[in-house]
Parts: sequence; C-alpha cells; structure tokens
Amino acid sequence: MQINVKDAASGAIFILIAAWFAFQTQELQVGTPLRMGPGFFPLLLAAVLALLGAIILVKGVLKGKPSEMTGVPWRGGVLILLAPIVFGFVVRGFAPLAIPPLGLVPAVALAILIASFASRRTTVFMAVTMTVLLTIFCLAVFQKLLGLPIPPFAGPLEWLNPYVDAAFAPFGAAWAALKSVFGG
Amino acid sequence: MDFLATFTELGHNLGLGFSTAALPVNLAFCFLGVLLGTLIGVLPGIGPTATIAMLLPITFNFEPATSLIMLAGIYYGAQYGGSTTAILINLPGESSSAVTAIDGYQMAKQGRAGPALATAALGSFFAGSVATILIALFAPPLTDLALKFGPAEYFSLMMLGLVASVALASGSVLKALAMVVLGLLLGLIGSDVNTGAQRYTLGFLELADGLNFVAVAVGVFGIAEILRNLEDESDREVMVKKVTNLWPSKEDFKAMIAPVLRGTALGSVLGILPGGGAILSSFAAYTVEKKISKTPERFGKGAIEGVAAPESANNAGAQTSFIPMLTLGIPANPVMALMIGAMIIQGIQPGPNVATEKPELFWGVIASMWIGNLMLVLLNLPLIGLWVRLLTVPYTVLFPAIIAFCAIGVYSVNSNSFDLYAVSAFGFLGYLLVKLECEPAPLLLGFVLGPMLEENLRRAMTISRGDWTVFFTKPLSLTLLLMAAAVLAIVFLPSVRKKREEVFVEEG
Amino acid sequence: MLKSFAAAAAALIVASGFGQAQAQEYPSRPITMVVPFAAGGPTDTVTRLVAESMGKDLGQQIVVENVGGAGGTLGAGRVAKADKDGYTLLLHHIGMATSATLYRKLPYDTLNAFDYVGLVTEVPMTLVSRSDFEPKDLKSLVEYVKANKDKVTYANAGVGAASHLCGMLFMSKIETPLTTVPYKGTGPAMTDLVGKQVDFMCDQTTNTTNQIKSGKIKAYATTTKQRVPSLPDVPTAEEAGLPGFEVGIWHGVYAPKGTSPEIIKKLTTSLQKALKDPTVVQRFADLGTQPSSEADATPDALKAKLTSEIDRWAPVIKAAGVYAD
Repeated sequence: MQINVKDAASGAIFILIAAWFAFQTQELQVGTPLRMGPGFFPLLLAAVLALLGAIILVKGVLKGKPSEMTGVPWRGGVLILLAPIVFGFVVRGFAPLAIPPLGLVPAVALAILIASFASRRTTVFMAVTMTVLLTIFCLAVFQKLLGLPIPPFAGPLEWLNPYVDAAFAPFGAAWAALKSVFGG
Repeated sequence: MDFLATFTELGHNLGLGFSTAALPVNLAFCFLGVLLGTLIGVLPGIGPTATIAMLLPITFNFEPATSLIMLAGIYYGAQYGGSTTAILINLPGESSSAVTAIDGYQMAKQGRAGPALATAALGSFFAGSVATILIALFAPPLTDLALKFGPAEYFSLMMLGLVASVALASGSVLKALAMVVLGLLLGLIGSDVNTGAQRYTLGFLELADGLNFVAVAVGVFGIAEILRNLEDESDREVMVKKVTNLWPSKEDFKAMIAPVLRGTALGSVLGILPGGGAILSSFAAYTVEKKISKTPERFGKGAIEGVAAPESANNAGAQTSFIPMLTLGIPANPVMALMIGAMIIQGIQPGPNVATEKPELFWGVIASMWIGNLMLVLLNLPLIGLWVRLLTVPYTVLFPAIIAFCAIGVYSVNSNSFDLYAVSAFGFLGYLLVKLECEPAPLLLGFVLGPMLEENLRRAMTISRGDWTVFFTKPLSLTLLLMAAAVLAIVFLPSVRKKREEVFVEEG
Repeated sequence: MLKSFAAAAAALIVASGFGQAQAQEYPSRPITMVVPFAAGGPTDTVTRLVAESMGKDLGQQIVVENVGGAGGTLGAGRVAKADKDGYTLLLHHIGMATSATLYRKLPYDTLNAFDYVGLVTEVPMTLVSRSDFEPKDLKSLVEYVKANKDKVTYANAGVGAASHLCGMLFMSKIETPLTTVPYKGTGPAMTDLVGKQVDFMCDQTTNTTNQIKSGKIKAYATTTKQRVPSLPDVPTAEEAGLPGFEVGIWHGVYAPKGTSPEIIKKLTTSLQKALKDPTVVQRFADLGTQPSSEADATPDALKAKLTSEIDRWAPVIKAAGVYAD
C-alpha cells in the first residue's frame, strides 16, 4: 500500500487542532440556536474541521501516491523564528528573564543579527555590516520619518538618545528645506 | 429625474471639487500622502491605520480639505504599495493583497515581476478612476443599497464568499476547505462579542481582541516563505536570475482587459458594504476569473488575470468604501474611523450634512482621489525597474531586512510584544502547512471572515427570535445563498471535479 | 495658506523628532499619552484634542499611543506598570470604573494603581431609535417596550461599551430585560440602526448628534440633567418622565502611582489650561460636550468620581450578570 505522507500528516494535524478547539470549548456555554452561546459556532466548526481532516487522512492512507519531501533548514528555521521573539523581549522588556525595555535600536539590531546567521552563506563581517546599515535605515525611516512612537533607546540606555538626535539634526535642516520647496 | 440636470449638477460639483483639489497646497499634500502611503505599503507589516494614527497630529494645522486629501492619499497609496511586497516577496500586508500574492509572486519568480507590477498599477488606476466617478454619481442611492444589508444578508454574503474561496486553491479542494475552516476557528479566538466570554485565549489578556491579522499574515506568508527559500540555498543565491521583461507584452494587455473590467465592477459593488465588503472583493474577483477561465490550471502558477482582477477589485473597493463614510459619517473600516476622527478634530461633524454644508470639502476629497490615483501610476510605473532590481539583491541580505521591517511593523499596530511571538508561531505553522501542500490564502480569508460570520449569524438569529427561515425569506439573502449553492454544485459536479483532480495529479 | 503650510512643516519636523533641544526640567522629552482604545473613536478624538493643547503649553509634544484591547484594560494595565516619571500618562473614560466590576481578574488594582491628574469632560448620551419606530416620546417608548419585550431589539457596541452600560441602566430603570444585539463598535451598530435592522440604542452625542439632526434616527431623551446645547429640542430623561436615568461618559487623565507631586501639579495646571483653550472648547462643543470645570479638572475630583462610579455601577453590572472575562 502506498501512503501519501503529506495528505496523511495534514489530515492528522487538522484532526488534532479540531480536537484542541473542541476540548477548549468545554468551558464555554453552547446554548441553543435562539440563544447561541460562545461555544456554539466554534464547536460546529471544530466538528467540520475534524470531519474534513478525517477524509483527507483516509484518502492519503488508502489511495495516496508517495510524495517527495524536501529538507528542513533546521538552523535557519530556529534562528528566523527566534528573531521576532527577541525583538519583542528587547523592545518591551521581559520580566521573567530580567530583560528591561531597551528601545528600538537594540531590538532591531539584535533581530537582524540573529536572522542574518540563518543563512549558511553569511560571514560574521557581512552580518555585522548588514546589522549596522539596516539598523540605521530602520531608525531613519520608522522612528524619524514616520514618527513611530518607540524611543530609539530606553531604560538603562536612555542616555544615548541625545546622541541619536544630534546625529539626525543635520538632516532635520535638509528635511525642512525640502518641505518649503514642496509648498512653493 | 431630469437626466440633463443631474449631469449639469455633477459637472458643477466636480468642477468645484477639482478647483479645490488642484490648489498647489492640496496637490503637494496629495502627493506627499500617496508617497508616504506607497512607502508604508511597501514596508511589510506597517499598515495605513498605524501610519494615519501617527500622522494625525500633523494635520491639525492644515485646512480640513488638505488634511483629508493627504490622509486619503496615504490610504490608497498603501493599497498600491501593499501589492508590491505581495508580488515581490510574497508578503501581503492586508487581506486584499493576500490574493495578489498567489499569482503575482509566481510571476515574480518566473522573472515577470515587471509585468505583474505594471498590471497591478494599471488595473488599480483604471478601477480607481471608475470608482471615483461612481462615488460622484451615485453615492446617495448606493448608500441606501448598503443599508438594506442586515445581519441575515451579511451572513449569506459571507457564506458565498467562503464557498467560492475554494477556488483560491490550486491543489486539493478538501485541503482548501479545511484551511478555510481552520482560519474561521483562529478568527474566533478572543472575547465573544455577545457575552464577553474569553475563548481560546489561554489566559492571555493580549488575545482578548483576537489574533492580530498582520501577525498572522506576516507569519503564514512572509516567514514561511523565507524558511522555504532557506531550504535550498545552493541554487537560490538571488531570488530571480533572469528578468524577462519589465513591461507587459501585447498578449498580457489583451489578457488583462476583461479581468480588470470585471474586477472593477465587483469591487465597486462590494466596497460599498461596510465591514466585510471590501475584504471579499479581491477574493471574489480572483474566484470569478478562475471559474470562467478556459485554462484554470494556470492559476496559482503565475496567471496575469490572477493579478489584474483582484488588484482592480481591491482598489475599486477601497475607493467606494468611502461612500458610507462620506454620506453617513459611518466608518466602514478602521482607516475610515480615523478619517472621521480627523474630521472631528478639524471641527467638521461627519454625517449626511457634509455634502451640503461643505461641498468644497466633499467634492474636493473625491476629486483628489482621481488625482491621487493618477499620481500613483506616475509614481509607481518608473519605480518598477527599481523594484525588480531589488529581486537581484542577494537573498542573504534581503531576508534579514524583511524580518526587521516585519518586526517593527507588527509591533507598531498595538505596541504589543505578544504579536511578535504570534508571528513566530504562525511562521512555524505556516511553514508546516505549506510543506504539507496546504495553501495559506484560504486560511487568511477564513481568519478575516470568522468573527463576522459568527456575529452576523447570531445577530440574525437574535433579531429573528431563533427562526432559521430568516435566511430564506429575505430576498437578498436568499439570492446570495442560491448563488453559494450553485458554486458548491459546480465545484462538486463530476466533470469539473475530474478536471480538477487531473490538475492535482499532474502536480503531485 | 503659506503661513499654515510653514506651521504644518514645523509641526512635521517636531513630530519626526528632528532637531530637539534638551532641557533639564520636566518635561524634557515627548510625553506619551495612552488611549486604551482604537484610533479614530470618540475617546481617541478627545485625547488628541487635549494632548495637542497640553503639549503646546508644556513645550513638549504629547504623543498619543493607542493601546486598544480588552475593554481598555490592556492600555490601563500598561500605564499602571509604566515608569513613574510623568512621561507615560493615561486618558481613560468611565470604563476605568466599570471594568473594576466587569473584569473579575484585572492586572492592576483600579483604585491603588494610579495617581490622578483630573477630569477632562463628560460626554452626554442620547436614547435613539430607528426613524420609523412607533413610540413618539420616552413615556410611550417605555410602555411600548414593556408591552413588546419579546419583539423589541436593543443594539449595543459590545460588552463594556458606553451603549452597553446605558442599556443596562435603562433596563434596570424600567425593570424589563430586553433582547440585546451586540456589535463590535458603535459604527456597525449605528449602521444597522440607520438601516432599520434594530429598534433602538443609547449612545454618546459624539456618535448620534448628526444622525439625529439629519432625521436618519429619532431621539427620545438625553441622559443629562440639562438639555444638550447642540440638541435643544431633545428633552432630558427627567423632563420626559424617567428621572434618575442619567449617564455621562466621563474622561479622566491618570499617571502611574508614585509619580512625583510636582509633576502631577504641573500636569493638572496644564490640563486646566487646555480645557480653556478656545479650540478645545469649540471642538468639544461640536461633539456635544463641554470641558470639565477648573474645580473638576483636579486630582481630588477625579478620585472622587472614580470611587463613586465604581460603587454606582457594581450593583447594576452584577444584576445584569454580564462579565467580560
């Protein structure tokens, strides 16, 4: 017998997710069609999902054709998925790990550094160069140009902010000049 | 009604509008708005809502018309820019561009990013122009039509949308259906609107308002795509090795005309419906194109119709969604809510009186929409070469930048770290499902429609006192349900299914 | 035009943070004012008007940050845990008091987590219905609703929303439970009221004034002691025969507990000035409301209001048996 692993596995995953939703619905009132409780619609959907999952699973097992699986980039995968999480920890702070909020610059820089090592082709020199350039770009575009309300540095690094402002001050003049040209 | 008189009045009104919109200061800020909009649209994650909220204080010092013209420019500029990222790096910033990503990204991979971008720009411009005229001509009667849509009608409309979305899939119908249902379930996470009960939040207060759309979209599309590209680095130093042409060919133009027209019509109608309408338009347009195409198997593999139709529909819908805001003062989406906020801050009470009390503002904004759309085409067409060149940047440089932009963009929506953890979680789930040949677009549609479908179902049942027949006794609702049944019949009709399975086998 | 353009350009530069001077005294950098609701809503608008004016007075921009979610409790929780340096403030409405009962597990202690700056405004509410609803006035509305309680539908904008609170109070006043149709926000609820899908609702003048004036909906009463100036023809609930049906959506400014008294004093003074700013007064009037008096725009008045409102709403919410968690 030939099994289509992709179909069988996706069917199983759908069933598992449906089961989780159904299990979590226990705490919710299901109600009647007139007075549907918060659990009514999700339970209905979970049942449909489980049914669809079962059909996909059975079809995959019974009359599937084997399909090829490509490799999984483990190192890259872990690093890529880690990068947004680290950004979140650093920008807002994360009490359980005693990380204080540090601001936009450290958060972006760390996320880029981590992400860039996801590729095996990246050398340390490339990673550092990219981190510096992209961080400056993000700071200029998001924080300075679009006025995103995240401080460049926060908490213990707050004393660095005046230097950021000073570094961007010359551009402030250019920006103002640009604006006046706009207005004619 | 005297047709000639209506026409003269329209001419007078548009003349008033253009004389307002063409003031140098308004032109300048219209340009600034569409430029900023394009910029934020291109930067993944960060959306028009966050940007308009951030720029709102600046507009305090403007004339009301100038302020609204600029904010509107940001809104439709972002719609343009959003499709650019969807096409180039498979990263939709909004539900509408999720559809564009399906075929647009495939075109880009084949070296046809230029034609895809040009199609999106031209289709959007055409749709925007038509929708502007529609607003000018029919805003009040169209509003009355939108008001006829009660909960029962919305529920039936969404059922139709969901059933039709199966056509989004290029692979298995069953898997696409399962992805829609999974999306619906994910959309239900958060507080129940009726009782306030917390559903599937696992005790996280951050989930009380549900998962953030941008986080889910960035995860299942963007992050999952990066992971897929990292699978085999040896042959993908740059994403596209060969760029065939920058401009659509004669055949391309021929192929896009009808889809653009159909997409514009569909988008204009659906956009008027507050909440849900504009979202459905791009999905619906794609479905229609695939259904009537003689070669549906090309869809999902870089069909130009799959870019032209949803992009036109999306832009037409974005344009006509101004109708309820302008005529009733009722916001159709968060961006419109912000525009209303901007009006109030300017001392204008949004509502039915705006058109009569402030005609120069009302018509000025409408006229500026057309001018803004023209500016967008002029701005975007020359940029295509630049964007396409972006694809030749080594991938090792491109993806850390994508991650950084996504992180900042997602964070900017709610200033909430939790959304970033969701990006990673959905990146993982998205990658897993893509590996198992389950496509993410139906999941996103389900996710967006889930809460609305449930709300309208429960609302309709409450208003009808538990009488299920309400969906069949209302003529509009019945029509929509019959259409849904027809679509379902076509999908599962033996001959059609056979054709479908053939396609599927070919792929496997 | 040129002048306003120059002003706009200047504002843009300030907003982008270019070329800021450093000063030692508070405030030496931009202040963040958290609104615990989505951008564009009535509370957001109130906040932006006040923030703009206070920012001018304090010589530092006040950045409005929307931290929506969980009926305003996420944003309030954020400020409760923020640094006590006066650079993070909260502008919240009546929900500050009602969420103390609506949420059984709050991440902060409502009465002990904040220092008070002052009351900002109290937005009146109006009882409105679809334009072709039968009852002519409030008295006949109450009779009609009681007689047809199985047919009438009341719309609200979700648990904890102003329209939800007002509806609960109305039902407790007429001692009749009604079928409630909840919406996600005022916009869709108002759409369905104008579209005659639901019968009646009670909402802030911010949302209803223009619809009433244009005849798209019908107004029965305002929930205020005096008539609302922008709606001179609409009687108060007391005049129309339902005394005690009074709700106002009051707004207050808070700082995290432990902020230095000097900073609070500076903020209160600045708030009082902002509330006299002609632009703010004018815009508030457009919204159908007026700024709080100087006596109300004080820490003590806000604290007293919050305490009394928690006590007032707790029994109403408990009787309705609705909780948000």
